[in-house]
Amino acid sequence: MRRLTSHLGPILMLAAGLFFAIGALTALELGSFRRMGPGAFPLLVGALLSLLALIGLAQNLRAPVAMGRADPMAVLGVFGGVAAFAFFTPLTGVLPATACAVLVTASVIKGFRWPHRIALAAGVSVGVWLIFVKGLGIPFTAIRGL
Amino acid sequence: MDLLDNLMLGLATAATLQNLMYCFVGVFLGTFIGVLPGVGPLAAVAMLLPVSFYLPPETALVMLAGVYYGAEYGGSIASILLNIPGTPSASVTCLDGYPMARQGRAGVALFATAMASMTGALFGVVVMVLLSPKLAEFALLFQPAEYFSVMVLGLVAASIVSSSGAVRGLMMVCLGILLGTIGVDVNSGETRFTGGIPQLRDGVSLVVVAMGLFGISEVMVSLRGATQSYAGAGLTGRMLPTRAEWVRSVMPALRGSAIGSFFGTLPGTGQTVASFVGYALEKRVNRNRDQFGKGAIEGVVVPEAANNAAAQTAFIPTLTLGIPGSTTMALMLGALMIHGITPGPRLIAEHPELFWGLVVSFVFGNIFLLVLNIPLIGIWVRLLRVPHHYLYPTVIVLICVGVYSISNALTDVWATLVFGVIGYVLRLFRFEPAPLLIGFVLGPMMEEFFRRAMLLSRGDASVFLTRPGSAALLLAALVLLAASLIPWKRWLMRHNTPQPQDKEA
Repeated sequence: MRRLTSHLGPILMLAAGLFFAIGALTALELGSFRRMGPGAFPLLVGALLSLLALIGLAQNLRAPVAMGRADPMAVLGVFGGVAAFAFFTPLTGVLPATACAVLVTASVIKGFRWPHRIALAAGVSVGVWLIFVKGLGIPFTAIRGL
Repeated sequence: MDLLDNLMLGLATAATLQNLMYCFVGVFLGTFIGVLPGVGPLAAVAMLLPVSFYLPPETALVMLAGVYYGAEYGGSIASILLNIPGTPSASVTCLDGYPMARQGRAGVALFATAMASMTGALFGVVVMVLLSPKLAEFALLFQPAEYFSVMVLGLVAASIVSSSGAVRGLMMVCLGILLGTIGVDVNSGETRFTGGIPQLRDGVSLVVVAMGLFGISEVMVSLRGATQSYAGAGLTGRMLPTRAEWVRSVMPALRGSAIGSFFGTLPGTGQTVASFVGYALEKRVNRNRDQFGKGAIEGVVVPEAANNAAAQTAFIPTLTLGIPGSTTMALMLGALMIHGITPGPRLIAEHPELFWGLVVSFVFGNIFLLVLNIPLIGIWVRLLRVPHHYLYPTVIVLICVGVYSISNALTDVWATLVFGVIGYVLRLFRFEPAPLLIGFVLGPMMEEFFRRAMLLSRGDASVFLTRPGSAALLLAALVLLAASLIPWKRWLMRHNTPQPQDKEA
């Protein structure tokens, strides 16, 4: 199983290369050697990527590269934090969204007590207000309805 | 005399209150971020990129450059005290810096680092002043074929130093170039690979790619990692090196600076190679070579002088040819382009205030670094004690706010998240994303020059080999590629002691 997953890396690259190469071939004009169309360069680079991916796959079949260990909770925490920011900003304004994002990301860190998480969320929100709204004067809706 | 005039012009640009202030802010923030393990100069520059859009181009570049070499310096603080290199190039500093700290000589090591960094940086600035205008003049002879080939050279160089190997590095470069083709093709006006999404018509934003690949995904990797904060004693003992240590450090500092300046100018090699080679060579020539790895002051001085000299000279190819020597330089290049300035041989002639202002600001910035670091070392040490879990949620939010502030568009935030996940998956499969970013920045220019060269040669692809300049550059790329098969790093470090094993807190 471990071997199969490690091979997935070059296979993903192969897929990406083929996606661009085939996309260029089918949807874009290639033009002539003299006057290249919009598809020529992506086709060339896409083909090169596919070739490199095949070499990489061959290398990997001989000596599989050890994969990094995934940490789903960390990914979830960061993903959730960014998503919370993007979700709450139109509803509540930037500062409450900031606090939510900090809380979500901090919630997956072990040994981080809730009072500290809340204090961090408040502190970062104040910091964002000071730096971005007051300092740089960026036209944010800081808190909606205020 | 000409040079003097130019330097005066630079002084007039750099010494305005605004530029001095942003230089200071950049150096301070850079050191701050560099001290924190896991967040390198690249993430530091990427995070401050959106802020720089609100500044005039000279000021923006002065600040970003300050962040860059401030972070390089900050990285060495974590290496010496924690044996965790804050930046890859600082890993050599661990070899002697950490043993020095364990002998209670951390203060001396940090002081020596500051002095060596400054020596290296100033040496690099002098090289930059003397070399850049000459190189730019020479590069004016370049035609599209040469430009294309010099970019190939830069990309090959960038991919072979990637820790995941040349083939994987090249794959990342290609992927970056392909991502750069998304959006409207400037020649034909046709849209490419947008999938009908109107926001993609202008292409993927550099800030989004950089923040996603290096900000978000780095936090995903380190969020719950086992990085410990500094729990050791504060700085006790003396700071100033003894007279004998001063004397021992002078020549190594100069040798390190010279080696660093050389490697900095080569595209793609950069500081890490510079500090490795500097250390390895010093070990061959130094009289006290048997003390290396056991806390020799030279072992701190040489890599620091080398990597800071390289940090400065890396600006030479970036500003004169438009070829970034490293990923961070690619970001700088991107920042310039966002401000409507095309880097290349005409930059010095067309924007002298920018180029010379930047050069003079390097001198100021390094003086700030010295001023900042000798008295403030205590603060940085205290910063290392802050538990890291306070840090990462803050970084995530700063990324979100920074991306959102560019054009008040939440789609940018979502796109950054997508690139964060892509970056994480790439790291999981041991693809280092740095070359991707260089490919992404250079890709559009490369395509442009490629198409122009083919047009000029009436569709004859052999033009890249028949023009001697272009052929020489491609040959150099080929040689580099062949050289990457030699395990040089192992060879260089063969006679050096391995890193200290005992990593107690």
